[in-house]
Amino acid sequence: MPATLSLTSSPRALNTETWLQRLIVAGGLCFLLAALLMPLLTMLVKSLQNAAGEFAGLSNFIEYFSNPALTRSILNSLNIAFWTTVIVVSTAFVFAYALTRSGMVAKRGFRLLSMLPLFAPSLLPALSMIYLFGNQGILRDWLPVDSIYGPVGIVMGLSFWAFPHALMILITAFSNSDARLYEAARSMKTPSWRVFLTVTLPSVRYGLINTIFVIFTLTITDFGVAKVIGGQYNVLATDIYKQVVGQQNFQMGAVVSVILLLPALISFAVERRVQRQQSAQLSSRAVPMTPQKSPLRDALLALFCALVCGFLLLVIGMAVYASFITFWPYNMALSFNNYRFDMMDGGGWASYFNSLQMSAWTAFIGTAIVFLIAYMSEKIKPMPLARRLLQLLAMLPMAVPGIVLGLAYIFFFNHPQNPFNAIYGTMFILVLNTLVHFYTVCHLTAVTSLKQIDSEFEAVSASLKVPFYTTLRRVTLPLALPSVLDISVYLFVNAMTTVSAVVFLYSSETTLASVAVMHMDEAGDIAPAAAMAVLLMLTSLVAKGLHWLISHQILQRTQRWRQR
Amino acid sequence: MNTPTPYLRIQHLRKSFGSFIALDDISLEIKEGEFICFLGPSGCGKTTLLRAIAGLEQQEQGRIVQAGQDISTLPPQQRDFGIVFQSYALFPNLTVSENIAYGLANMRLPRRERRQRVEALLEQIHLPGIGDKFPGQLSGGQQQRVALARALATEPGLLLLDEPLSALDARVRLHLRNEICALQRKFGITTIMVTHDQDEALTMADRIVVMDHGRIAQVGTPEEVYRQPATEFVARFVGSMNLMPAEVLDHCSLMLGSREVKVPMTLPVCERGTLGFRPECAQLQSAPFGLSSDHNLVLQARLDHVHFMGAFVRLEMMLDEELPPIHMDLPVEQMSSLKPSVGESLWLSVPREALKFYPAESPGHGEVLPRSIEADLPQDMAAMQVTGA
Repeated sequence: MPATLSLTSSPRALNTETWLQRLIVAGGLCFLLAALLMPLLTMLVKSLQNAAGEFAGLSNFIEYFSNPALTRSILNSLNIAFWTTVIVVSTAFVFAYALTRSGMVAKRGFRLLSMLPLFAPSLLPALSMIYLFGNQGILRDWLPVDSIYGPVGIVMGLSFWAFPHALMILITAFSNSDARLYEAARSMKTPSWRVFLTVTLPSVRYGLINTIFVIFTLTITDFGVAKVIGGQYNVLATDIYKQVVGQQNFQMGAVVSVILLLPALISFAVERRVQRQQSAQLSSRAVPMTPQKSPLRDALLALFCALVCGFLLLVIGMAVYASFITFWPYNMALSFNNYRFDMMDGGGWASYFNSLQMSAWTAFIGTAIVFLIAYMSEKIKPMPLARRLLQLLAMLPMAVPGIVLGLAYIFFFNHPQNPFNAIYGTMFILVLNTLVHFYTVCHLTAVTSLKQIDSEFEAVSASLKVPFYTTLRRVTLPLALPSVLDISVYLFVNAMTTVSAVVFLYSSETTLASVAVMHMDEAGDIAPAAAMAVLLMLTSLVAKGLHWLISHQILQRTQRWRQR
Repeated sequence: MNTPTPYLRIQHLRKSFGSFIALDDISLEIKEGEFICFLGPSGCGKTTLLRAIAGLEQQEQGRIVQAGQDISTLPPQQRDFGIVFQSYALFPNLTVSENIAYGLANMRLPRRERRQRVEALLEQIHLPGIGDKFPGQLSGGQQQRVALARALATEPGLLLLDEPLSALDARVRLHLRNEICALQRKFGITTIMVTHDQDEALTMADRIVVMDHGRIAQVGTPEEVYRQPATEFVARFVGSMNLMPAEVLDHCSLMLGSREVKVPMTLPVCERGTLGFRPECAQLQSAPFGLSSDHNLVLQARLDHVHFMGAFVRLEMMLDEELPPIHMDLPVEQMSSLKPSVGESLWLSVPREALKFYPAESPGHGEVLPRSIEADLPQDMAAMQVTGA
């Protein structure tokens, strides 16, 4: 008898089910390749070409770096990102600590208020800053610098907008605590400052590093705030816009995009590394801790949280108030004049309804695509390499600034030889672009919830000869329903408020409200811009409220099994 | 069963994960209606073997033949098995009835018949009337029984159990052992259970497959595996065993630590090895007289500790400082009649049949030699030869 009977796996017998799975994986792969990777590669190629489309090597980059007016923006961007990160992360750190580890009162209220900026377009805080600290601002005299138009304004606006993003990550980090470590420390009579340094800080270390990189990426790539309140202070994101829209210099736009892509990619890579290490940190046997009361500390923390929330409310309140002022600062009577958008630039009410339509499509189609691709990459066996690639591509949008993605879409989809050329200038390209722009967070949400579902369900179904799509419909989808709803509302809100990605892609028939805010501001109609921004925020809040109601209703009805 | 052809035949199965070899040339035959346990420590390949049989893991080499059909490359959907996992893997959003009927839906059974089948199965797992509950409302043991019913509902030819009892607490586990055995006998279904619990394997299985590092260490009935462990690994893993490193002096004497000992057996030609016997096989003697050293191993050792274990007493004896302590299990009555005291020097004897000697694999050709032996001899023969039984 031969020692080993060589029977190298003959091609596995395929049935329709396996074919269907392969088809979907391949479809998902094609989707991400066509809607993400190829546009980006086209942009890379463009940065190496001259205006006539011939290969020009690095000459565009040489031109860029020999122009100090342009390279200044690199330093400016880094400067903005650095200060915003410092302010936001330190504030959010204390805030998250107060919410998770103190016996402070009104935690729920503070938490709800702190999430408000998520629903506002990033232009809103910038407009609000103009009313607060601008040349005719009500708090003009409080401003320690000459003008709000510049780095101070950008940092303040970005701090408002980025705060909840930092807070969410840090709250999660602080929640992963093991009460037994604190009990052990206390039983050894450790002073509380040492407990903080040796137990608390190490346990949130990864979350903290993660936050720093996320906020740095968010702020260095932001377009909206710098556009409205940057004044003469140029940053990379606004440079791209100016090169493309102002000077029609697409090659230079591509060069700046490549440069902006670099810090984002680096911080993205670091963040992924950190994330991987964190997963192994908390043992499953950890006992969650319940915060202890300590009157003085809790009072101080409550004061701090009140101040932060006060600032957030001030910014939102200012924008709301200003939107109702008839003619700032001469006619302070309240009216709805600023909401008569049809009298202004930017497409009027039509653009608001376009935005609604675009957001609804993005939420609807996007959720289906995200969930299906996440399901395929998590739960299905065939084509391991393709699924790895799928997971990798799904993480990439996180590192691509919206404005870079928008420009890449021009290069790719506006190319006359591209078979998808027809979608250029339609609603469809806006939906596609927005979906890809916000893809990563949705994908991660879906993957996280799928990971919580027993990995043996597919094996059991196979043994019972039930096709995978039946199990997907009858079991997996109902189990993941809460996160599916989360994804859809996340996509809706972000599609409503985003500016950067779509600013290059709308046409005269598909003007969008968020872009209209920018155009009205450019035309000097700051009050109507604020009004539109407030309307967008209100719409997002209503969507969130509806989502809460619907999911509450649906969960009540379909999730009866969750009750014991 | 007298059927000459086995129900399941596994030939030269090989599977690795990167550089880790999970299955190393596994060959095995299973008769129809048998209850087989794959036993071994974690990482020994037992679960991988089960998943390969189910088609959930694709082997790199080898063949699997089930009921005369080569299923080596079939996807799980086209194989004939039911499976139960440690995690139950019940669908939490479906009721117990819906769970059990899950696989019946596409068998085109009339609705009434389907319901009858579900009710009959609930009856058989002794949980009638829980059909409308959700899995979350059941205890772990109940959930596992429902999972069993779901796996049996489609009447598969092969039942695969992947550590089905490991997540349950001790009392429920004992109860479910009997229930699984009873169901298996009633259905007469060929069953493979993966476990790392030797008690489970010994009490439930018709035959045990002991696995170590992706290879089969021994195949045998529970009694064979317990009484005649084929290798030192099996001896260590199944039950407790006194194992003492020894140097071979000649064909019938050994150096145990610094003592020369005459053994009542013929030793193989080698330099060193391990001498072993079960704690319950040793007997306490008041004096060394009247014991034939041709039939018994006789040792003198100092009593160090007495551990009360309930039904019996475990004595911890020191033979030599260089050796691990020897354990001896005595019935409580014998203990009270002999009344040995700690520190006392005692005589103990081990009958020849209970002694095992495992020659050490010499590092030089350890890789080559055992393989050729294995190829020629069935594994459970190797130990028998050595013990001279």
